[in-house]
Amino acid sequence: MRITINGMACEAKEGQTVLQAARANGIYIPSLCYHDKTGVAGKCRVCVAEVRDMRGLQATCALPAREGMEVITNSETVLQAQRMVVDLLLSTGKHDCIACEQNGMCELQDAAYYLRIERPGLQYADVQPDIDSSSAFVHVDRSKCVSCGRCVAGCNEVVVNEVLDFGRRGHGTSIVFNADLPMGESTCVQCGECVQLCPVGALTEKKSMGKARSWETHKVRTTCPYCGVGCQLDLHVKGEQIVRVTGVEDGSPNKGRLCVKGRFGYDFIYSEDRLTTPLIKENGEFRKASWDEALDLVANKFKQIIAESGPDAIGGVSCARSINEDSYQMQKLFRAVIGTNNIDHCART
Amino acid sequence: MISEQAVREINGLMEKYPRKESALMPILTLVQRDNGNVLTREDLKDVAKLLGVTTGKVYGLATYYTMFNVEKEIGKYHLQVDTNIPATLMGAREILRHLEKVLGVKAGETTKDGLFTLSEVECLASCGTCPTIQVNDRYYENMTTDKVDQLLDSLRKGIMPEKEDGSRFGTVCNVLLKNRGEKNASSLSVAKARGAYQALAKAQGMKPEDILAEVKKAELRGRGGAGFPAGVKWGFLAKDTGKPTYLICNADEGEPGTFKDRQIMEYDPHLLVEGMAITARAIGARQAFIYIRGEFEWIARILEEAVAEAKADGQLPDLDIIVHRGAGSYVCGEETALIESIEGKRGQPRIRPPFPAVAGLYGCPTIVNNVETLSTVPFIIDKGADAFKKWGFENNYGFKLFGISGCVNQPGVYEYPLGVSFQELMEAAGGVKGTLKAAIVGGLSVAVLKAEELKDLTMDYDSCAKHGTALGSGGIMVINEDFSIPELALRTAKFYAHESCGKCVPCREGSHTLVEILKRIVAGSGEAKDIDTILAICSTMRGLTLCPTGEAFSVPIGAMVGKFRNEFEALIRA
Repeated sequence: MRITINGMACEAKEGQTVLQAARANGIYIPSLCYHDKTGVAGKCRVCVAEVRDMRGLQATCALPAREGMEVITNSETVLQAQRMVVDLLLSTGKHDCIACEQNGMCELQDAAYYLRIERPGLQYADVQPDIDSSSAFVHVDRSKCVSCGRCVAGCNEVVVNEVLDFGRRGHGTSIVFNADLPMGESTCVQCGECVQLCPVGALTEKKSMGKARSWETHKVRTTCPYCGVGCQLDLHVKGEQIVRVTGVEDGSPNKGRLCVKGRFGYDFIYSEDRLTTPLIKENGEFRKASWDEALDLVANKFKQIIAESGPDAIGGVSCARSINEDSYQMQKLFRAVIGTNNIDHCART
Repeated sequence: MISEQAVREINGLMEKYPRKESALMPILTLVQRDNGNVLTREDLKDVAKLLGVTTGKVYGLATYYTMFNVEKEIGKYHLQVDTNIPATLMGAREILRHLEKVLGVKAGETTKDGLFTLSEVECLASCGTCPTIQVNDRYYENMTTDKVDQLLDSLRKGIMPEKEDGSRFGTVCNVLLKNRGEKNASSLSVAKARGAYQALAKAQGMKPEDILAEVKKAELRGRGGAGFPAGVKWGFLAKDTGKPTYLICNADEGEPGTFKDRQIMEYDPHLLVEGMAITARAIGARQAFIYIRGEFEWIARILEEAVAEAKADGQLPDLDIIVHRGAGSYVCGEETALIESIEGKRGQPRIRPPFPAVAGLYGCPTIVNNVETLSTVPFIIDKGADAFKKWGFENNYGFKLFGISGCVNQPGVYEYPLGVSFQELMEAAGGVKGTLKAAIVGGLSVAVLKAEELKDLTMDYDSCAKHGTALGSGGIMVINEDFSIPELALRTAKFYAHESCGKCVPCREGSHTLVEILKRIVAGSGEAKDIDTILAICSTMRGLTLCPTGEAFSVPIGAMVGKFRNEFEALIRA
């Protein structure tokens, strides 16, 4: 269907909201609480617009697109409302961008930039940082929280760890872990889904702190090396160093989700103890060898065993950290080349 | 620690509701009662386990509602002084100061001996009988400093005095308050002797669509505040959904200045039960709820008794009514928040559409009506729409309860036809105390009117709209020249900031910011631009929030500042 946004004709799909259609057409409407994965919340009220023949302002995140709909996002009425909402957030929280980890990828900062809000204009009370650093991997600063609810929805509905919720109400509303425990003492498994969903600097990766500004990094997409699920990762790399790992939102199978290992366990690649060549054990001692030498040795031993005892004398156990494709190749090798069905997977044993 | 006895009661509560999660609030109420009026984190964890929900959900709910004391120190007697606008106008601040002095603690503190905790609380729907102190579950109304001293003496001896009935009323229509002066009218026998359940008997001989048609014809507008025609609302019900239809009576009565529904529920509960039974028949509901504000503990018991009596008498052969107590949240008066609350969640409004008539309680078609609206239905069915329309005039038919509080000599609830003049109501309420300065006529959420604007005001939807305000719930708060509007504006803003559910940003942070600005102005440290900032926030707020609460505070505060700007400016210059 066709809708117009600020006079521009846009294609919208059946079932799309106006906000989704705007994004699909490259039109920016500031918003905070909506995320494709957590769905419509309708609560930040930043994405409001005027719609012809509809009374008052409409939250575009909750407004289904309809054929011929005329949406205005750039009128003074709309901008004034958006400015007030963003200003209220900036004024009642402690949103100091300068040293914030989220600087450059903060959706509140983007909204303020778009609305040309240089500094908070409604600051009538002092706001103190409200930090919980009890968790090993997640830095929590509630004074930067906008209560968008994406983390709460993510924790309960996406990864179903059921740790996060909202406590108290009004201005005192804040995210809580279980019965308001420090994050590190809660039942949180530190999958970091909440961090990935947080639009602001309230939930950030501890390990990334001070490592890089967002614009100094580039993303390298890869597959998580930990298990056979094959989660898609973006490595955020500064120079040669990984400073952050995020899940690829539109990548299967994980749709952005990761576990604690995939998201935070990336230091091993820099370990001094990593093997750099094959090792062959002779007289109880390992010695370095070339790949050719090592593979020839293994192949010859296999051949010898098959000749002496038959192929069923050999069994293979595939590594849980392999990707599906490698596991497939492994069983193919055993069944077709070696000729045995003795093949298993270490995660099953 | 939850006792075995309590676990048995909890299991009973879980079975009472269509979905067990709905039992969460009653369960917490029960556990808190058994636990010296406090809830520990351990309790919350245990309840979560019993109910099969997350601990975060239970904690989130318990800290949302003000009546749950999570990890708080609460004395044996919790003295809760209502200081909202009607109370302030009627001397509650003096009562609070007196209590602070004699107990030697500030509001929010507990005496060293652990006997008393003193709290300042929001409107207790006791506006006609302010100053009011709620001690644990019991209201003590029409308080004076002498009566406070007597109360404390008694409590120190371990005796909770009986509740006194000191509320005033008057009626010229004799419908909603016809049993108000009657002794024991809450009992079925007295109510029946005075005509209760005749309309229901008639309705049982009518087709549901004919009941609906009669109510539509009566043009009964909802008495909760929004004034939406009840019959039209019922007509929006989704049909043939294969799901049950629910009827909910909104008895949350939280709008400051409003204390009318309790007159019906406390003194004539069968009128409400009858109205619900007829309505349930009209809309095809077999399960109904009365969502009553948590502070009305004794009224909830009266209602439960009335329902049981009616049931035993065979009046409700195919209807179950559950009386569900809230736990301290103004926003639960909004119908979608109320539904969330019955579902055992934080009382936060939902995005609409879908409207409750399509997807309400448990996602099923649901009708939510106010106590007064439902209690008007028996008259319409018994006497007919035409008889109802003899009162009032087009677009404003019928009788209405007006709660009059503040600076009047005889505060109380008065039943008059719509269209009664403001002046006549003032006379009914014994006249204005002192010099009339202004009045807020539809509950706190509407625009204040100055004395000169009140001269030709009649109390109906149209006249109020013409005067730039709203009839709302019909709660009239009268302000005399002794009171400063900036101080009332600050108290108003504090109420809404306290009650903001926190879900949407403009209401949550806007109400909080207004409090901060008004505090500065009232303290004499405001700047000239602050006044315009308030007005800008109030005007931008309109239509921006998720539910009507944004307008509920931006309209009255905007009006107070706009109409009495000189008083605010005087504070800035001073």
